[in-house]
Amino acid sequence: MKHILLLAGIVIGLALVPLVITKAYILNLIILISLYTVLSHSWNILGGLTGQISLGHSTFFGIGALVFRYLWVMGAPSYLALCGGSISSLLLASAIGFPAFKLKGHYFAIGTLALSMIAIITVQNLFPGVSFSPPQYLSKYSLVPIYYMAVTVSIIAIGLVYALTRSKLGLAFISIREDEDAAEAIGINTFKYKVISMSLSTLIAGLGGGLFSFYVASYYYYVPFELGWSFDPVLIAFIGGPGTVIGPLIGSVCFVLLKELFAINLGQMNVLIFGIVFILTILFLPEGLIGLMKRLQKAKRFGLSGRLRDGSI
Amino acid sequence: MLHVAQILSYGILNGALYGLVALGLSLVFGVMNYLMVAHGGLIMLASYTTFWAFFYTRIDPFLFIVVVTPLFFVIGWILFKILFQSLMKFPEGEKIKNSLLISFGLLLIFSNLAILFWTADERAVTTVYTGKVVQVLGVRLPYIGLGGVALAIIVIIALHLFLTRTYFGKAIRAVSLDHEAATLMGINVNRVCLVAFSIGSALAGIPGVLTSLNAFNPAISFDLTNKALIVLILAGFGSIKGVLIGGLLLGAIEAGGVYLVGTPYREVFGLILFVLILMFRPQGLAGKKA
Repeated sequence: MKHILLLAGIVIGLALVPLVITKAYILNLIILISLYTVLSHSWNILGGLTGQISLGHSTFFGIGALVFRYLWVMGAPSYLALCGGSISSLLLASAIGFPAFKLKGHYFAIGTLALSMIAIITVQNLFPGVSFSPPQYLSKYSLVPIYYMAVTVSIIAIGLVYALTRSKLGLAFISIREDEDAAEAIGINTFKYKVISMSLSTLIAGLGGGLFSFYVASYYYYVPFELGWSFDPVLIAFIGGPGTVIGPLIGSVCFVLLKELFAINLGQMNVLIFGIVFILTILFLPEGLIGLMKRLQKAKRFGLSGRLRDGSI
Repeated sequence: MLHVAQILSYGILNGALYGLVALGLSLVFGVMNYLMVAHGGLIMLASYTTFWAFFYTRIDPFLFIVVVTPLFFVIGWILFKILFQSLMKFPEGEKIKNSLLISFGLLLIFSNLAILFWTADERAVTTVYTGKVVQVLGVRLPYIGLGGVALAIIVIIALHLFLTRTYFGKAIRAVSLDHEAATLMGINVNRVCLVAFSIGSALAGIPGVLTSLNAFNPAISFDLTNKALIVLILAGFGSIKGVLIGGLLLGAIEAGGVYLVGTPYREVFGLILFVLILMFRPQGLAGKKA
C-alpha cells in the first residue's frame, strides 16, 4: 500500500512539473534522463536480465526514430507513429536479430556490433540528407507534449522491467543469464525466452528512438544510428546496476548530469569519465551502484552486531 | 581487365595491413582467451604517437617503429598489471566476457582521450614518397602500401619464428594449449601471460605507424578493431599463421565489393561476411570444430 501511494505521488508530481516549472532547461534535463532511461532499460532487459550482451542497440533505436519520423511527417498522430516505430523495430529484430541468437556469449556481442555498423553505413548511404519535423508542428514547438511522452514511455519501460523481475518470465530470463546450459537442462526453452527477451527489448528501443525523433527537431538521418547509442546504454546499465529496476535510472541521471556539466567546454568528457567508472565497476562492483548501496546498508545494519558476535569489541 | 587488377591489388595492399592489425589481437586471444577489443584504440594511439614524433623530428616514419613498439610494450605491461591480471582466475566464458567489457571501456576511453587531445580532425603524416606509385604492368602500386606488405610479411614471420624456435615462445605456446598443464610443467603462467599481452600491444605499434601514413582520426579505432575481429574469425581464433591469409582475404573481398557495388559499401561486405561466418562457422573458416 505504501509503495502504491509513493508511486502515485511520483506520477502526479511528474505530471505537475510542466505546470509549475516553466524553465525549458529543467524540462530538457528530465526529457534527456527519460530518453536514456528508456534506452538503457531496453538494453537491460536483454543484457542485464537475460545476460545477452548486445552492442547493437543503436540499430533498433535508429529504426524506431526513422519510422517514427516518416509516419509523423506523413500526418499520423505522434502516439500512433510511436507505436509504428516500436513495431518496426521489432520487425527488424525478427529479420536480423533472432538469427543472431545462433551466436552464443561473446559472439553475440561482436556480432551485434557488426550489425549496428552495417546499419549506420547503409543509412548514411541511403538517406544522406537532414530529417525535419513536420512544418506545422515546428511553428509551435513546445517541450510540454515531449515531456509527457518522455515520462510516459520511461514509466512504461521501468514498469515492464519491474513486472519482469517479479514474474516467472523474468525468472526464466535470469536462469539463462546465470547458466544457459543448466537452464536448458532443467527444461527451459532458452531460444524461446531469448527471442521473447529480444522482442521486448527492441520494442522499448523503438519507443526510445521515436522519442528521440519527437524531441530533436532536425537531425541527419544517420544520427540515431550512431554507435554511441549502442555504447551508452551498456555503460549506464552496468554502472547503475545491470538487471535491476532502479539501476539504469540512477545511471541515466548520473550520465545526463555529467554530460551537462562538461557540455560547454569539454564535450566528450562524460564518456571518458563514464568509461573509467565502467571499467572500475566491472572490476570491483559487478552489481553496479545499486549493489554498492545495498552493501553499505548491510554494513551499517550488521557492522556493529557482526563485530559483537565475533567478540572483537 | 586492368581496372579489376587495380582494384584487386589495392585490396591486397589493404589486406596486408588488416593482417598486421589483427596480429596482436590474435596472439592475446590465442594465449589467454582475452578478447582485447581495445587493440584498435592502441593502434590509433600509436598513429598519433608517430604523427607527433614526425612533427617534431621529421625523420622517416618507418624508423619510428623502433621507438613506438617498445613504448606500446610498456603500455601493454601496465594495462595487464592494472586491469587484466585479475581476470586470470575466471573460467573461460567469464574471462572472455569480462575482458571484452573492460577492453570495450578502454576503447571508449582511448578514442575520447584522443578527441580531447588532438580533436576529431583528420590527420596524416606526409612524407616525400606519399602518393608516389610504382607501375607494374600498368597497375599502380603506392610505395606506402608495398612497404606495408613487406612489413606485414617480416613481422608475421618473425613472430612465427619467435613462437616456434625460442624457449620462451615454446612456453607461450604451452600456456595457450593448457594453463594448468603448463603450470605443472613449471612454467610461470602469470609471467608468460604478462609478456604475451605486452607483445600483443607492442604489435599495435607497427600497424599504427602504417595507418599514420594515410588519413586517420580517433574514430578509426572502432574500424580497426572491427577489421581485426573479422580477420580473426576468417583466420580462426588464435591462429598466427592464418592472420596474413585472413587479412589478404578480407582485402580481396572488400575489393570485390567495391568493384560490384561501389566504394560507399566497402565495409559492409566484410561485416556481412563476418556475421555469416559467426553464425555458421563460429570456430572460424580454417578452425577445427571444438
